Amino acid sequence: MEYVSPFDERRRVAEPLAERPVSLEGTSVALLDINKRRGDEFLDRIEELLLGRGASTSRITKEIFSKPAAPEIIRRIADRGDLAVEGLAD
Amino acid sequence: MSLTAPEFSLPSTAGAPLALTDLHADGPALLLFVAEECPTSTLALRRLSRAGVRVVAVFEDPLDVAARVARRTGFDGLVLSEPAPYDVSRAYSLISLPTAVLVDRAGHETGRVVGWDAEALQSLLSVPVTDEPPLRKPGCAAKNTYDPETLRALDGAGFDELEEMFERGWTDGLPVIPPTGERVQAMLAGHDGDELLGEMAPALARVTLERVAACAVLAGCRPEYFPVVVAAVQAVLEPSFNVGGQAVTTQPCGQIVIVNGPVRDAIGLNGSSGALGPGWRANMTIGRALRLVISLTGGGFPGRLDRSTLGNPGKIGLCFAEDEEVSPWEPLHVSRGYDASQSVVTVFGADAPLSVSDHRSTEPLELAQVLGEAAGATWSPNWWPLGGTSLFAICPEHARSFHEWGWDKERVRSEMFAAVRRPAGTLRWGETTPLVQRASDDSLVDKWDRPEDIALVVAGGEAGRYSAVFGPCLGMDTQPISKEVPWST
Repeated sequence: MEYVSPFDERRRVAEPLAERPVSLEGTSVALLDINKRRGDEFLDRIEELLLGRGASTSRITKEIFSKPAAPEIIRRIADRGDLAVEGLAD
Repeated sequence: MSLTAPEFSLPSTAGAPLALTDLHADGPALLLFVAEECPTSTLALRRLSRAGVRVVAVFEDPLDVAARVARRTGFDGLVLSEPAPYDVSRAYSLISLPTAVLVDRAGHETGRVVGWDAEALQSLLSVPVTDEPPLRKPGCAAKNTYDPETLRALDGAGFDELEEMFERGWTDGLPVIPPTGERVQAMLAGHDGDELLGEMAPALARVTLERVAACAVLAGCRPEYFPVVVAAVQAVLEPSFNVGGQAVTTQPCGQIVIVNGPVRDAIGLNGSSGALGPGWRANMTIGRALRLVISLTGGGFPGRLDRSTLGNPGKIGLCFAEDEEVSPWEPLHVSRGYDASQSVVTVFGADAPLSVSDHRSTEPLELAQVLGEAAGATWSPNWWPLGGTSLFAICPEHARSFHEWGWDKERVRSEMFAAVRRPAGTLRWGETTPLVQRASDDSLVDKWDRPEDIALVVAGGEAGRYSAVFGPCLGMDTQPISKEVPWST
């Protein structure tokens, strides 16, 4: 029996992963705060660890956690950072 | 007594076909029958890979699919592919996947475990398997039991298209109507199925009229309901509704569809006794169709990308009419700027309804306060102000009382807003808001930011003084959205 699918059956092509850095030394890491409770505490600790390993950091905050990051936010992360860390959930 | 395991020779990722005799020549082999779309199968592949036993995965899938799943799950044993019509599965009398069959060096089956059962596998294999939960999980139907091609080859014996919908995952857990081409065309009633309504998160799926029609068929809608479903889908696709956030949140929120205007009578939509359900086909299926668009087409399927902690029964679908004829007040769609003669759908992102009984109030402020205090308990008792909308379904008796006391809808809203406030000091425990944390003990905190955050709709039976309030969907920055029903039936 043939049925009409409720799904968008387009095949998605997975984005290739970026090359992993060998060391954090000298890298610039963007820390994305999604604006959810206590995400800043998590990122504070991550930042401390990154700085201790020779990375520099920059903090960027999404307007609201429940919506996708604005293109401007993504562009700023891409412009500023070699790497990005996102703090999710509570 | 052990049985001789049925012989087979199947394509393998090792390059050449492998026979059962190749597999047990060096010692016992555990045949693990699995399938790609079965989550219990992938669980078994992941867990048994780490158990240190010799496992041969026999997939009821093509070899390339089998290899991909093996890679994805970290399965490092031999991988075999059994094509339709699944003769090997039938020879092994498989009903459910995964099924693990232990074959000894002599080619005898010495035991089997159906589904995921860590304790039974440990006992069968005499090695520790895992103590990581879940220790038990039921399996999925083996393809030889339902595969349509196979069953057609067997003269269609046992083919059940309703069961097939479950196997495809085209369901919310209840039986659905299979969306055949004929049914979908009837639903579209000549409208262009390729028309794009928008993209829906989290799948970022293209929501076409045809896919919405497929969901409407699945939900059990009659074709005359379809324009109401379309309006509801158009509403949730508005960016300010944030359906993507609602679809994946751990919150219980669902999408509540309220219908105003002449279409209610045209399609038999109930706004009277039992309006919130169950019992009326239009109510039940329109709400369900919207939810199927969100969960199937949009990808917000419970337990997958929908991470709702508890869910709520309203997420099966919740649609009702405002009883404009009984209401003493202006209908919702008129309050939102439409003409009374227009048929309009308004969608709210909201929690399950909380019933509020009041058979005793003798003056309007008392009743407004009872209803408002009930709303005060939604989301979390000390979360003031709410920061979202409280949607009230006001029953006809309550609405009539307000009317007889001379209160219109605006008055009810403004008085309720003013009546429900508490000293910050009484709210400063458990989950509370930054505003309460900052405020002095005696500062009065409102339950809402503004009276407009109180939405009132009249619905329910003539008898009984039971209204209801729907908790909000917070953190989503969601707004109620109204759309005119795009065509008449």
